[in-house]
Amino acid sequence: MTTETTALPDGSLRGRFLLLAAALLVALVFAAMAGHDWASPSRLMRALAGGQEIESRLLLVWRLPRVLAAALVGALLGLGGAVFQGVFRNPLAEPYLLGASGGAAIGATVALLVPLGLPGGPALALLSFLGAWGATWIVLAVAGLHGRPDTAGLLLAGVAVAAMLGALRSFLMLALSDDTVNLQVVLSWTLGGIQTPDLAGLLLLAMLVVGALLLARTLAGGLDLLGLGDEQAYAFGLDPVRFARRAVLVGAGVVAAAVAFGGLVAFVGLIAPHLARWLVGPRHRALIPASALIGGALVAICDGIARAVLPPAEIPLGLVTALVGGPFFLVLLARRLKA
Amino acid sequence: MSAPSATTTGAAMRIDCRDLGASAGGTVLLDAVSLSFTAPSLVGILGPNGAGKSTLLRLLAGYRTPERGVIAWNGRPLAGWSAAERGAACGYCPQQFEPAWNYSVAEIVELGRERRPAGALPREAVLRESGLAALAQRRWNALSGGERARTMLAATLATQPGLVLADEPGASLDMRHRLALLTRLAAYARGALVVVVMHDLDLALRFCDRIVLLDGGRVAADGTPDAILGAGVLERSFGLSLQPETRRAGHDWVVGIG
Repeated sequence: MTTETTALPDGSLRGRFLLLAAALLVALVFAAMAGHDWASPSRLMRALAGGQEIESRLLLVWRLPRVLAAALVGALLGLGGAVFQGVFRNPLAEPYLLGASGGAAIGATVALLVPLGLPGGPALALLSFLGAWGATWIVLAVAGLHGRPDTAGLLLAGVAVAAMLGALRSFLMLALSDDTVNLQVVLSWTLGGIQTPDLAGLLLLAMLVVGALLLARTLAGGLDLLGLGDEQAYAFGLDPVRFARRAVLVGAGVVAAAVAFGGLVAFVGLIAPHLARWLVGPRHRALIPASALIGGALVAICDGIARAVLPPAEIPLGLVTALVGGPFFLVLLARRLKA
Repeated sequence: MSAPSATTTGAAMRIDCRDLGASAGGTVLLDAVSLSFTAPSLVGILGPNGAGKSTLLRLLAGYRTPERGVIAWNGRPLAGWSAAERGAACGYCPQQFEPAWNYSVAEIVELGRERRPAGALPREAVLRESGLAALAQRRWNALSGGERARTMLAATLATQPGLVLADEPGASLDMRHRLALLTRLAAYARGALVVVVMHDLDLALRFCDRIVLLDGGRVAADGTPDAILGAGVLERSFGLSLQPETRRAGHDWVVGIG
């Protein structure tokens, strides 16, 4: 719950979104500059203008797709977090903490390492979706859909599920580790990391983000009502159980897409909706796109840091978000448990 | 608030329930309750703690499914109404509400309106009629208990439903606001069916058209306030001896002394 005591005046919402768009732009520019060798804004402009020298080509072909992919994965994480917090009615709910990301990673691990004889791409998508969906339902079943949201119970259930899934994933990796190439991919997932996509991959990712935004927006009204509590949501015409089923389906799809493209990235799904709520208020019609914008900006920046901090090596994205997001989460948790 | 116009939801709302039974953890909450309510009417549900008042209201609202018996709204079994249809036709105000998010008063009223935007009063009118205009942009965590209760009731009535089911809407209100609440509900009930769970005997006897007294999950009495008071059933159910006093003109409330 935010500490603000008054709502925004009705007209200022558009201004807030302009602010968020500007922040995303700044984050993209920073991320495009960041790297083993820092690119100045004038070099960026040259590359964007179609400069043919090797430096410009490298920026355009290697760095910019990576930056855009990072922002798009961040958007998925942000809006996924907003959906999760809405369904669980808890500002500390997050796909990573509640094991949904871990579930998606299990599905992806199985798809990559177990010779199922299924076509690679669809099998990976389907299995990571099923993993995220199943893990979310386990937590939802344990923490309870009906009662008052109990932060401690919810987080404990999530931690247990996430730990179990992590162990299962490690076991699968050890047991099926002859295929070293795939193992490398799975390993990089564990710590979170954006792969540099080709143009087709980037387009697919962009389409997934647009689709996820549209789907999540159809949940906005129901998530608003669910936030009033089960009984009041019912009083205002929502079937809470049926709606939660639908929302978890959408949330699992978003999480699976984010994990497939960016691995296990912690805390973005927690921070983005939080900041969004401060800026645009609790109603999900504004909260969901705002969370996507903030998530995009956050991951673009963190991915830039991951590429720039320890040259010539690259540190995993998940380390950066955990180092930044961990303290943020702890402060929120302390405040909530005290209240 | 004035009575809803006949053009809003079904002008003459009617609820029938037959042989309702409910239990929780081996305890019988309701047993063989059969009642019919017809608009326009203000019905007070009274009874000691644990009598089954809230359970009855939840069953009537459809939030809880009865173990035995059937409930029909306007002759149509409740099971056949979708959640959206129920929300549009009924204003159900539960006893407890604890939003997970820090909504503003205006946002909650807006959420109440959206269940039936076509027949809803404009947001500003809802806020004004509930005396909440000055609090419109105030967020939940900055509201007092009474302000919260008034906000939820305003959101409940925003669509001018033909059926209102409210569970102790006055519990957290001070005397002045409780009186205003009952005055308002009584006026509203001139064009709608309003069923209210109450604890204030005096207000119930003064404002309700009909009183249903529950005790131990059964209907102990059902009738007009005068009949209920005269029958001595209140004394038996609550285990108290009561001293009826008539309020004199020009005074708002009788306060017992000594």
